Amino acid sequence: MSDNKNSTCNEKVFDNFFKSHSKLLRNYLYYKFGDLDQAEDIVQDAFIKLWNNCANVSIDKAKSYVYTVATNLGISITRHQKVKFKYQDYVTQRKSDINHESPEFIALEKEYMEKLKAAIASLPERQREVFLLSRIDKKTYKEIAELSGVSVKAIEKLMHKALGTLRKTLGNI
Amino acid sequence: MFEDKKDDFFLARWVSGELSEEEFKAFKKHPEYQYYAKIMAGADALDLKTYNVEKELIALKSKRENTTNKKKKGTVIKLLPYVAVAASIAIIFGIFLFGPKDDFATQYGETLTVQLPDGSEMILNAKSKASFDKDNWKNTRLVSLEGEAFFKVTKGSKFTVSTKNGEVSVLGTQFNVQSHNALFEVNCYEGKVSVVNKNYTEILTAGKAYRNYGNTPENWTFTGAEPTWLTNTSSFRSIPLKYVFKELEEQYNIQINSSNIDLTTIYTGTFPNNNKEVALRTVFSTLGMDYTISEDGNTVVLEK
Repeated sequence: MSDNKNSTCNEKVFDNFFKSHSKLLRNYLYYKFGDLDQAEDIVQDAFIKLWNNCANVSIDKAKSYVYTVATNLGISITRHQKVKFKYQDYVTQRKSDINHESPEFIALEKEYMEKLKAAIASLPERQREVFLLSRIDKKTYKEIAELSGVSVKAIEKLMHKALGTLRKTLGNI
Repeated sequence: MFEDKKDDFFLARWVSGELSEEEFKAFKKHPEYQYYAKIMAGADALDLKTYNVEKELIALKSKRENTTNKKKKGTVIKLLPYVAVAASIAIIFGIFLFGPKDDFATQYGETLTVQLPDGSEMILNAKSKASFDKDNWKNTRLVSLEGEAFFKVTKGSKFTVSTKNGEVSVLGTQFNVQSHNALFEVNCYEGKVSVVNKNYTEILTAGKAYRNYGNTPENWTFTGAEPTWLTNTSSFRSIPLKYVFKELEEQYNIQINSSNIDLTTIYTGTFPNNNKEVALRTVFSTLGMDYTISEDGNTVVLEK
């Protein structure tokens, strides 16, 4: 195979690409299909497919390639089962205190966190995807728009809707 | 919920800190504000189980090894059930009845990977035949070929591919041999290859190619690490149309009725080996030819 410095077949290029993109892809797949273990398996399969096709996929096309392959894999796996978002085991409270991030400290009871997680889990897929990419991965609307191939306005609308849906689900607590 | 705010990005803009000072002040006084602030504070406290990139990469690499090995074995069986059967019959009969000779052949549109006794690899393109003498392999590494094949030769004694058009020998390298009737073409991808025919001897180094067509030898250089047909593309470099049509026929098991066409026209281009419509369209549209496909899909009639 080619040892070209910019070729996807170049071991170093491939490794760096994996290191910089696999985590976000895994999170993205988790938000979309609701299963973290499965998401990690799909990431593996998608990157193996990229490696096997490395001669045909240039490194600047590789990102959209793995996202497409992984999404298709996820769809074919979940086609026959209703997607149930498994949030209990994986979404955990951040270790670092949150005071620095939100100036007005709000005491959050454990009970509230559980309800919030359940509410996020029951969001429509697209709203959940956008909401969690924004909150957990700290992606800007522009970055999220690039990932899902839609306009920034569409992402903003989904984010607005997601907050509205959460507010409605949680009620006045 | 937020009927008094018509802007349907309002909350999104709030989250990303894009509200104007007045907007934000107004929002803070709004009775809904506390609920949204609480949701945001909660959401910002969420995190995922950590992802160990290094560990995942190692897992990926070991999986990659496994699947590529499996894939190599799998290709032979998956693509060619009957050739595999034929091959195993040849081996069994070969050993017990006819002496140790191994024959391999591919049908229309097939490729076949053959592991030679010393670990060298031969990949046969569509409609090609090859044979070698297994018992005598230690003394002479000799493969007879009709058609086209790509060789990855492990280092060792002289390795020879014998064709009607001449012989190609090497010590350890990767090269492609094509021998169809009057056409003989050798591409060297790695190492050194010597090409010998009746009145010609040529040493090819990596990236060099040799062709003899109608007693007109020709040399050129090329780039690429392996023949394009290994990745399901047939490509041609200034070659008479006849051979392009022949390749189309071999890849797709079709007959091309070209009675009105000048088959000596020179063609340079590529077509895919896994999509008939695209392949036909690609070749014929660049030639400015109209074509019709018969109802059973097996015959293509050309009109100029």
